[in-house]
Formats: sequence, C-alpha cells, structure tokens
Amino acid sequence: MKLYEYIIRRLILLVFVLFAVSVVIFYLLRGFPTGIAPWAAYIHPRMTAEQIEAVIRAHGFDRPIWEQYFYWLRDVFNGDWGLTGIWAQGRPANEVFFNHFPYTVELSVFGTILTIAIGVPLGIISAIKNNKLPDHVSRVIALAGYSTPAYWFGFILQLVFFYYFSLWGLPHLPSSGAPDFAVAKITGLPIFDGLLAGNLTYVWDEFLHLILPSFSLSFISLGFLARIVRASMLEVLRQDYITMARSKGLKERVVIYRHALKNALIPAVTLTGIFFAALLGGAMITEYVFSWPGVGQQALRAVFQGDSNFLLVYSLVFATVIVLANLVVDVFYAFLDPRIKY
Amino acid sequence: MQSQVGGVRKGEWEARLADMKYTLYLFRKNPLVMAGTIISLFFIALALLANVVVDPNLAYPEGYLNAIYPFERKYMWSANNMINWGPGIALYRGPEFFYLGTDGWGRDLLRMMVLAIPVDLYYAAIITIGAAVFGTLLGAIAGYIGGIIDEALLRITDIFFAFPPLVLALVFAAMFGRTLETLALAIFLVWWPTYVRLIRGQVLSEKEKPYVEALRALGAGHSRILFRHALLNSIYPILVQVTMDFGGVILTFSALMFLGFSPSPALPELGNLAADGYGHVFDAPWVIFFPGLTMLIISLAFNLVGDGLRDILDPRLRR
Repeated sequence: MKLYEYIIRRLILLVFVLFAVSVVIFYLLRGFPTGIAPWAAYIHPRMTAEQIEAVIRAHGFDRPIWEQYFYWLRDVFNGDWGLTGIWAQGRPANEVFFNHFPYTVELSVFGTILTIAIGVPLGIISAIKNNKLPDHVSRVIALAGYSTPAYWFGFILQLVFFYYFSLWGLPHLPSSGAPDFAVAKITGLPIFDGLLAGNLTYVWDEFLHLILPSFSLSFISLGFLARIVRASMLEVLRQDYITMARSKGLKERVVIYRHALKNALIPAVTLTGIFFAALLGGAMITEYVFSWPGVGQQALRAVFQGDSNFLLVYSLVFATVIVLANLVVDVFYAFLDPRIKY
Repeated sequence: MQSQVGGVRKGEWEARLADMKYTLYLFRKNPLVMAGTIISLFFIALALLANVVVDPNLAYPEGYLNAIYPFERKYMWSANNMINWGPGIALYRGPEFFYLGTDGWGRDLLRMMVLAIPVDLYYAAIITIGAAVFGTLLGAIAGYIGGIIDEALLRITDIFFAFPPLVLALVFAAMFGRTLETLALAIFLVWWPTYVRLIRGQVLSEKEKPYVEALRALGAGHSRILFRHALLNSIYPILVQVTMDFGGVILTFSALMFLGFSPSPALPELGNLAADGYGHVFDAPWVIFFPGLTMLIISLAFNLVGDGLRDILDPRLRR
C-alpha cells in the first residue's frame, strides 16, 4: 500500500469514527434527558407559547430521537452547533469551546515540553545504569508518577508552592486560575498574543500561572515516557551496530547520544504524540483542581448540566484530534524509521 | 509406551517447575517487587478485614438521614493532641482521639479510610478482571479468525479509543444514575478495548508458530488450539497488563468519585473522602492529603509488582 492510500484510508475511517461518536453521545444525552431541556437555551420568559412551539419545531425537538439526530446534523452543516445552557450564558456551543480551547492548547504544550524534558533523560539514565541504584530510583519516580492521583498531586503543589511559601515569606507561585485576557485577541493563545502585543507583564503572569498545572500534568505522564525510553534504549543497546560503534573505540557518551538515542526515541515519539492529543481533550482533573479555564473543565460542567450541544462539539473535536494524531504519528514513524512500510 | 509418555511428561513438568523456581528467585531478589507485593497483600488483607477492624456503622453518623449536608463542617486535627502527647499516645484509646484528624462530617478519617479501602479494591478488581476477560475473549477470537470479524472489532475499538476517556464514563454515569455499579460499568466500557488490541497481537504471532501447525496436524480443534495453547502461551502479557491496570483503574474510579459522581457524599471511598476537602485545602489539608496518599501507595504497590513482573517474565530481559 502506498503512503497516500494509507492516509486516505485513515481519513475515511475518521468520518466513520466521528459518525459513531456523535451518534453515541447524541443518543445518550438526548435519549435520557436528565439535565436541562435541549431547547431551554433558545427560549426566554417573554416568549409566547406559540413562539416556543415554533422554536421546538424548527430544531426538531418534538421528533423521535433518530430524526432529531438528522436535524442536528443539518444544523451542524449550516454552521449552527446549537446553544449551551445557562452555565455558559447560552452562547453558541462552538464559540464556548473555541474560547476555552487555546488555554487547553497552552497547558498541553507546556505539559508535554516538561514531560519530554524530564522523562527522556530519566529513561536514558535508567537504561545506562540498568538494575543499579539510579535505575531503581528512576523506576520509583516513574511509577510514582503514574500511580499518583492527579487531584491529590495538584493540591499538594498548591499547598506547598502557594500556601506554605507565602506563609514562610518566600516568593510563591499563584495557586489557581489564569489571569484575565488583557491583550488584543488574535490567536486566542494568551502567551502568544501577549508576546505579539509586547505586553511582557501579562506574559510573565500567565507563565507563572501555568507552572503548577503543567508540572502536575507532566509528573503524571513522564513516568510512562521514561519507562518506554528505557525499554527501547535497552533494546537498541543490545544491537550489533552499537557493539560495532563501541569496538571502533568511540566514547560511551558518543555511542549513547549519537548512535543509540536516535533509534531509541522512535517509540517515545509515538507516545508523546498520543499523549499530547489526549491532553488536548483537556486534562479534566488538573483543570478542575487548578480552576484552569480550559475545555476539560467546561466539559465537566457540561456533563453535570447534561448539556448535549457542548459535549457533542467537545467529543467530536477530541475524536478528530485523536484520529489525526494517530495518523500523524504513524506517518512520522515511517519517516523516522525507513524500515517501516505501509 | 505408557511409561515413555509419562517420562516425557515428568521431564516437562520438572522443567516447568525449575522455570517457576527461577522466576520466584528473580522475584525475591528484586527488592522493589517484593516491597510492592508485601504492600499489596497488606492492603488486600486490610480490605478483607475492614468491617471487622472498624464498625461500618460509623460511616453514617446519627442524624445523617435528617441532615443530608451539615452546614457546619467539623474539621479536627488530632483533637487532644496536646493532652495525649507523650509515650501514652500509643496506648490512648479514647473516643475523642483522631490519629489522622476528622473529615468534614466529624468522622475519624483513619477509620473512614479503612472502610474505604475494600470499596476501592473491590470495584477496581471487578472492572479490571471484567475488562481483561471480555477484551481477551474478543481479542483472541479476532486474532484467530481474522478476516471481517477482526476488521469489524478493530474498527469498534478505534471508535472507543476516539472517545474522550472520561467523557464516555461521565456521560454514562450521568445518564443512568450515580450508583457504584453504573460507574464501574462506565469505566469498564472505556477499558476493555486495550485488551482486545493486546491479545489480538499476541494471538496473531502465536498463530503462525510451528506448534500450532503441529497441533492442527494432530487433529486438535480450533477452540482447543486457541484456548488451551495460544492463549495460555500469551498469559504473561495479560498478567502484567492486569497488574498494571489495577493501579490505573483504581485511580480512575476514585478520580470520578472525586469529580462528584459519588452516590452519596458520605460514602467512605478514598476519592470521595478527598473530595470532602476540595474547598478546604489550606485550612484542613489532611482531609485531602491522607486519602490521596493511601491511593498513591495502593496504586504504586500494584504498579511495582506489574513493572517487576514484566521484567521478570520477559525472557529477553532476564540475565
């Protein structure tokens, strides 16, 4: 199979995945209405009964569930994703989503950078000092990372770096939230827009707010990365070309960083890609603990309100991101390792 | 003839025994795995004895049904710490002494945590084993039969992987009511596809091995080849995955409880106990600290065992 055929096949699959995801979410949320009525956002107290009736009929809310789905689909193709409930002031669902999405992107980028910066060296040390003390230490750190309840670790960070540091009169980090958007909105990404506008105070403030949540995120996931890097590093170090490089008389440092690391990082690339995509779905717990205004926290509120419109936007974007990330990673994989063919 | 077969069997049995002994030796030699095993066994024993050690009625204090949510929350840190401080502290068994303080309901946090451990372990075990059995069966069938069934199952797992991980569980729990069973079912739903992928890969590689061909030549049926041989030969990766997943499932379960999917705010469950301290991190940090720490220790213990098992059972990593 050619590479482009493979890509096209996967993109066709994406359409099916999106269809299935939307059907399931739609059916669960509209078929078992526990929260607000789906038309609640469209009406206001001063409307007459006939007007309300007209709204309900226009969006097909009085039809059977499977017909409602097609009404929804029709509206989506017309660019109308429906309105959110009172929890988001009844604004259009896609507007709410894309207002908060940049914050999630920012948090994901910082979390991923931190994960790579800590996880990869940890994995390399583990592999080089296999079954010696550094390996045991890094193994405990890695395992502790993915055994840590995200909510708990976030609170510990807040407690230490905000509460106790301020109690002891040390310079402390902000505990939660993000500063209000203070510059002109171009991309929506606070740090990027702040840099474009040249407002360094705002950028610095935003950066300080990012430190604790992104560290909390990365601590949970860097363990996985470190273990993967260790395993693939051990695999690579056993191969003949490494023995060859060593017998040429190269320094161990050169062997590891110039020869072994590049091949050992291939599985790590995959993992990082998938991990980043999963983060874009909003690290709900971390966002909840740090009151970070990302999409994960909004989705949590939407779930408790039974808001189908927002959750549909959220799930569909998430599914697209996951499928595309898998595709990009696969293609990149073939690019990194010429032995892989599709 | 009979003795010959018996002789062969005996030799094989001895080889297996030797292998098992060597595995156990590696197991004992690894201090981290041993630590993990001991801690896991301790928590399992504690879970089995929890209702004997602590009176379960303590979880629902008097008047609970009348006042669902007490407006005056009672947080206490070792109420009479000062009075009892000294060597006598270990002997003091009065009703007013709280080793780890109290939670928002004025209940002894330590006792509530002991009551919480069986809840967490029980549901995590059900979810993990359920997902492993279901996923293994589907994955084995998909890998063995191949063709359209394989393709269809893979596409279904694709769809499940594309769901936002917590959202499916959250939506499911929100729709069908907040009971522990619904929550367990919801987590199960997002968990089983991993096993399908894992086992399918294993069975695919086992299927091509010469011994399967030999079995077929001997006249073994499909179900015998698949369940008695191919699956048994890939039991180790399943075992490792189950042990590692147990830690993950218990974290997910308690995280959902923490996010507010508990059937009752007074339910002793580690995530729910921690949620009690959500708005009180700075004035009552122990309410969130100790349940979270217990969660961490339990999950870490199981992960240590799983991680060690993977190294021990993987022949390539054995030295």
